Amino acid sequence: MRINDWFLGLLLAALGVATLVAAQAFPTIPRQEYGAGTFPAIIGSLMTALGSLLVLSGCRQHMPFFSWHSKVSLSRSFACFAAVIAFVLAYLLLTPLLGFPIVAPVLLALMIGWLSGGRWVMAVSVATVMSAMVWLAFAELLHVPLSLGVLEEVIY
Amino acid sequence: MSELLTALGMVFSWDVILVVLGASLFGLFIGAIPGLSATMATALLVPLTFFMDPLPAVASIVAATAMAIVAGDIPGALLRIPGTPASAAYTEEAYQMGQKGFLGQALGVNLLCSATGGLIGVAVLAGFAPLIAEFALSFTSDEYFWLALLGLSCAVLVSGGVPLKGALSMLLGLMISMVGMDSVSGQVRFTFGVSELIGGVSILPVLIGLFAVTEILRRLPEIGRDVIPQVPEVGNPFRGACSLMWKYKGGVVRGGLLGTVIGALPGAGADIASWVSYALARRFSRTPEKFGTGHPEGLVAASSANNAALAGAYVPALVFGIPGDTITAIIIGVLMMKGITPGPDVFTTDSTLVMAIFLVFLLANLLLLPLGLLAVKSTRHLLALPTSVLYPLILLFCIVGAYAANNSLLDVGLMLVLGLLAYVMTENGFPIGPMILAVILGPVVESNFMRSMIKSNGDLSMLFDRPIAAALGALALLVWGSIILGSVRSALSQRKNGSGDGKAGVCSQ
Repeated sequence: MRINDWFLGLLLAALGVATLVAAQAFPTIPRQEYGAGTFPAIIGSLMTALGSLLVLSGCRQHMPFFSWHSKVSLSRSFACFAAVIAFVLAYLLLTPLLGFPIVAPVLLALMIGWLSGGRWVMAVSVATVMSAMVWLAFAELLHVPLSLGVLEEVIY
Repeated sequence: MSELLTALGMVFSWDVILVVLGASLFGLFIGAIPGLSATMATALLVPLTFFMDPLPAVASIVAATAMAIVAGDIPGALLRIPGTPASAAYTEEAYQMGQKGFLGQALGVNLLCSATGGLIGVAVLAGFAPLIAEFALSFTSDEYFWLALLGLSCAVLVSGGVPLKGALSMLLGLMISMVGMDSVSGQVRFTFGVSELIGGVSILPVLIGLFAVTEILRRLPEIGRDVIPQVPEVGNPFRGACSLMWKYKGGVVRGGLLGTVIGALPGAGADIASWVSYALARRFSRTPEKFGTGHPEGLVAASSANNAALAGAYVPALVFGIPGDTITAIIIGVLMMKGITPGPDVFTTDSTLVMAIFLVFLLANLLLLPLGLLAVKSTRHLLALPTSVLYPLILLFCIVGAYAANNSLLDVGLMLVLGLLAYVMTENGFPIGPMILAVILGPVVESNFMRSMIKSNGDLSMLFDRPIAAALGALALLVWGSIILGSVRSALSQRKNGSGDGKAGVCSQ
């Protein structure tokens, strides 16, 4: 996935300017000219300058705004990115409600089943066993409070 | 002497031995699977180290990375697919040896040279680090500021690709490090009202996002595309390997020493060490025409160098708190989470721990031989593991790992965002190495810079007042000058196809 450098440079330069502006709002150390904003101001200035150089470099490349050079098709790649994002977002949103013991095996089984081309029995078995192992390792052994969600009322 | 005995007692306790064995097997597993790097093994281990004492935490990372680098050689020799980027330099050579009927010997030489190179690295680390630490005790904030800046600039310089993009990647890392409460003034910055960010961005989601999630995003679309060929039978790896290593003993020692020095350079890790060592072995060989045809000379030098580089990277990490590569950047993060700030003081306040770390290195390198042999014998089964199962499991492990440090779902979200950011960056030629080094070194650079400014009432020339600070400052400015010059030159001389086309490495090993 290749995005033209002028666009990336523009984004980075804009981030640099935003940092520079935000840095001006930080108070200085009493009776000194510098403070919490000094370092961010330096970094923001450098980011703006180097981002602008990247814009200049990108403008001279005469490359398309977006190009795809991978051996794998764009649609397949985007489907995989979407799957990863959906996996994490679903975990973030559903775990507090339904709990790790329900959400993790379901998400795992869905992803393994999809990636393995529909081997659902294998997917469900692996997902159940591996989720249980992760639960045992993190929640039981290392005492990480993985959410139980609705199961909390059932168990306690 | 009593310190050594105490350190021996610490290392040979059952929990450390168990951790070393477990981490070694984990490292072998990750290294043997093409596409999974030693850095990824480290990033995935960090959530577990969070619950360990400092020594087992460091021991697990030392053991896992040493094993991952060695295991990375195996699929290279068997299938011409390097398991980790650190093995890529001599994959063709090892594979060609296998094609000539010397597969066992190629793998045996890999194992023996890796262990020897690792031991050379440990010897240099144990011999020189305390001496440099003693010298560094007189350093003030001026020297530390320049040293950290030098570390960042070297990381940009050796990261590969266009220096401009390396510098921008570093600046992004510094921006991440500025989030939270400023250590000098106590001012809260860039938290956008999120109270969980007051303590700063936790290192764990950053590591997992940059090194594990990015790799999942890169590898997931390739599932089912590449069929792993039939793995050939491997004979006794040690038959004839010792005599071959003895024949090229000069190359082994040179590779080990060179690897240690390259590893100690900030930003340059095992992969660069093995490429440079292979190139030098070819340059000084009496038969350079045989390189690339299954000739063991380059293989010997490069496989010795990449393991030595692992130990070399610990010299600046332990002595100055300046990471030599991405793995030691992670180690510094882990030690800081444990309340230990690496630096010359550690050699006096925690000298037993430092000695125990040296011993752990020794143990891990000695374990390379039996466990490496086990890995050679079990590669057939490891490579048969379906990636359609493996990657979703790693993703779940990433999520739980990112959550584990602070029990915060915000960290899981940060992990995803940083993983996506790092993916776009690597696809567009931005190296990730400078970014992670900047996240770790950002607070060091800023706090030392601010201390020096306060001491000198804002007079920047005071940063050059002390002779060592002046020398380090001149060196840092020289490196920065060359980076800026290179950036301006590449921006001005950009032609139609541009030089920034290639993807940058993730700087992983």
